[in-house]
Amino acid sequence: MTYPSPAIVDTIFAPVYRWRLWITILRISIQERIIYRGDFMLGTLMRFLPIITQIFLWGAVFSALPTGNGSEGRIVGYSYHDMVAYYLLTMLSRAFSSMPGLASGITREIREGTIKRFIVQPIGLLEYLFFYRLAHKLVYYSVAIVPFAVVFYLCRGFFQETPHGLVWATYIASLVLAFLLGFFLEATLGLLGFWFLEVSSFLFIYMLLSFFFSGHMFPIDMLPEPMATVVKLIPLQYLAYFPAAVFLGKVQGAALVTGLLVQAGWVIVFAFLAQVALRRGLRHYSGFGG
Amino acid sequence: MPQPLRYLQIFATFARNSLIRDMTFRANFLIEFISSLSWVFMNLGFYILIFHYTPSLGRDTGWGKYEFFVFTGTALMINSLAGMLFMTNADNFGELIRRGGLDFVLVKPVDTQFLVSLQRVDWSSSGNFLVGLGLAVYSLRCLGVWPSPVTIVLYVFYLLCGVVILYSLMFLLAATAVWLGRNETLFDFWFYIVSFGRYPMEIYEGRFGRPFRWFFTFIIPVLVAINVPSRFLVQSIRPQSLEEWLLPLYTIAATVIVFAVCRAVFQLALHSYRSASS
Amino acid sequence: MAAIEIRGLSKTYRVTRKKEGLVATLRALFRPEYEYVHAVRSIDLTIESGEFVAFLGPNGAGKTTTLKLLSGIITPTSGEARVLGHIPWRRENAYRRRFALVMGQKNQLWWDLPAAESFHLHQQIYGIPPDQFTRVRDELTEMLGVRQLLHRPVRELSLGERMKMELVAALLHSPQVLFLDEPTIGLDVVAQYTIQQFLREYQARTGTTVILTSHYMKDVVVLCRRVVVIFDGQIIYDGSLTNLVDHLGDYKIITIRFSDGQVPTDLSRFGKIILREPPRVRLRVARNEATEVIRAVLARYIAEDVSVEDPPLEELIAALFASARNSRLSQERGNSAVPEDTTHSANH
Repeated sequence: MTYPSPAIVDTIFAPVYRWRLWITILRISIQERIIYRGDFMLGTLMRFLPIITQIFLWGAVFSALPTGNGSEGRIVGYSYHDMVAYYLLTMLSRAFSSMPGLASGITREIREGTIKRFIVQPIGLLEYLFFYRLAHKLVYYSVAIVPFAVVFYLCRGFFQETPHGLVWATYIASLVLAFLLGFFLEATLGLLGFWFLEVSSFLFIYMLLSFFFSGHMFPIDMLPEPMATVVKLIPLQYLAYFPAAVFLGKVQGAALVTGLLVQAGWVIVFAFLAQVALRRGLRHYSGFGG
Repeated sequence: MPQPLRYLQIFATFARNSLIRDMTFRANFLIEFISSLSWVFMNLGFYILIFHYTPSLGRDTGWGKYEFFVFTGTALMINSLAGMLFMTNADNFGELIRRGGLDFVLVKPVDTQFLVSLQRVDWSSSGNFLVGLGLAVYSLRCLGVWPSPVTIVLYVFYLLCGVVILYSLMFLLAATAVWLGRNETLFDFWFYIVSFGRYPMEIYEGRFGRPFRWFFTFIIPVLVAINVPSRFLVQSIRPQSLEEWLLPLYTIAATVIVFAVCRAVFQLALHSYRSASS
Repeated sequence: MAAIEIRGLSKTYRVTRKKEGLVATLRALFRPEYEYVHAVRSIDLTIESGEFVAFLGPNGAGKTTTLKLLSGIITPTSGEARVLGHIPWRRENAYRRRFALVMGQKNQLWWDLPAAESFHLHQQIYGIPPDQFTRVRDELTEMLGVRQLLHRPVRELSLGERMKMELVAALLHSPQVLFLDEPTIGLDVVAQYTIQQFLREYQARTGTTVILTSHYMKDVVVLCRRVVVIFDGQIIYDGSLTNLVDHLGDYKIITIRFSDGQVPTDLSRFGKIILREPPRVRLRVARNEATEVIRAVLARYIAEDVSVEDPPLEELIAALFASARNSRLSQERGNSAVPEDTTHSANH
């Protein structure tokens, strides 16, 4: 059996002539998203409401920490201010890495058979979805930047030192990689729909695991030992924890570089998996004339 | 037949019909049952982790690990009751408005708000209630606290007050669908507001916390919904001020007021109903 | 005493004028522009107890709005109405126990449950005594031929069967007044017929006061002696169906079948040829000339068969609506100097 050319060659480093096509998808998708703005701004602001509870909850936790054991009001090296800053930063990470409706959308296309249009169209499914999602995110950021700015301004006191240039660069790179990882990971999950009828249970498990192990509720360093090691080995931490930890200076020196490389590695793995799943899935599909 | 009994009977039929329906789509029911339970366990995992590092929530508040778990059990029971009885119906109200299904409800010789609020019972949330109950009982045992019958009666009473408060806030928002159309944001709003009450009110402390606590006690009374019943069980919390003594009394007033407001707004909404054709 | 009395009943809806584009949407948020739609304009109507009355009118004429007002679903802008002595929009339980509403385009039965379960619920909602409930339910399901379907989930029933169950559900509490809004819409001929026969029989036996709106003239012909034609929110005809036909139908349709398969070419001098399908021809002839025309045709040609019919009711009604529309238009054109009556915008 011959395998198709490696996925990422097609998807990420596609030939230059396709850029016009990409721009078109992007433009159309942006227009479409803008129509749905509705009470978008309000909705986004509301999503920050849990921060209030988190700030007070951590405040209460830290105020009752036992003193005199040398850790001086820190939990796994995080001070109260770090903890709140961490929580705010993971919200930002998730603004990049979360892909609402991506996997379920793919599954629906498979179930309803509309995915077949990508066999005949001169554009790949992943390519299309990628730019659609990018447009979606760009519109989202252009609106959400206002509430994000407001909240970060109000909470500026929790950020004690601003990172220097190199950390900033790494941070931004890790956010971009978080977006790519989120996209390809969820796309792969959605493409499982070629083989499984009930992908929603997979998605549910994924959601559950990432709630706990991507670190968006608390720094994963807090987890007790067997879990802590496992969590370091799976890619979920790169969706929320890693960018935030980079910003807060919890990852330094060589670890910074390795972390970023591992994150990029996971992106490549899932981009490849998604592409393979799509090709084999479509063949599987036409195989039984679906 | 006396009126309250008739309403109880109608509700029993709603509950029964919902159960028959859920059992027809068993797989779906099971998935929802398990998924809502999983979220509960995820949250519990988070709390366990927190108490791995701290002995109590806030210094000298009395909210140690098991006290807090009694609180969380109570929160689970109140939230799951509100979810089980009213959530689907509040959600469905927008649909009734949009597609004109409210027409049939309005011609029935039974209170319209009653019919709209209780038509469907979401049995898949019943697991959360049981977990909440189990958690509360287990934590009380760990604390070595055995509540007296009077305490239990007061607890159940205030638990129901809590459910009524959450219900009233939910339908207050749901009723606006008559003017605003179906509005998802409003439900998110309800959810976020109610989440403020998922922690002991003592955590809202300090320069910003105090006004915040005041606002969500006296203007939108979500903080009393879970805090007050929990306090009856966990007696280790000493009343710290006059406020503490007045709180249970205030809770009754708050329940009555917020329900009355909800009722008034709902009636106004029914009056403004335009009935979509087809 | 009259079962239903309506005096000067009006319902005006205010609708926001929707605009395209971001800027217009934002502007509308602060300064909405409204349009006023007069769904019902000052209707007067009296219906005696036991009458079976049809509301006729084109879509959006105000038939359904009137039924909704009488059911208390919506509140009027002005005017009065009393049904069985009750003001409907007060929504008193005493009133709601005494009438029923059936809407062909909406259903109230639980979709995933057998109709029997919904009926059981209705028993409790209306407080129907058990023995009466069983008797009425069995009677009605028997009459409609759906008794064996009682325990099948509603979603598995055909549209016709579902509509029959809806009717049973509505009639379980033996209402004194029944509002039927398009009860046969979308049904096949057989189901339509069954429901017509059922309604006729049921009404004759119970003496229920019924108002029916329907697009199927057949329903109206079979069921109603009295017809109320509503156009643009106003009643433009109220009287018997036969009168309406006499009043409008000033022509007859003559169908001639020629024996030699040849159709004469000079027939148009007798009347308007509406169909020419050798060996058959249909002619439209003024009512008072019909006998004359037949005599003349028979004298000249050899006809195998000749029949004379009244024009179809649909056609008459359509003509009535068309003339009503024309007179409205000319009225508006005459008044073009003053603001339009039906819709005008206002800034608030």
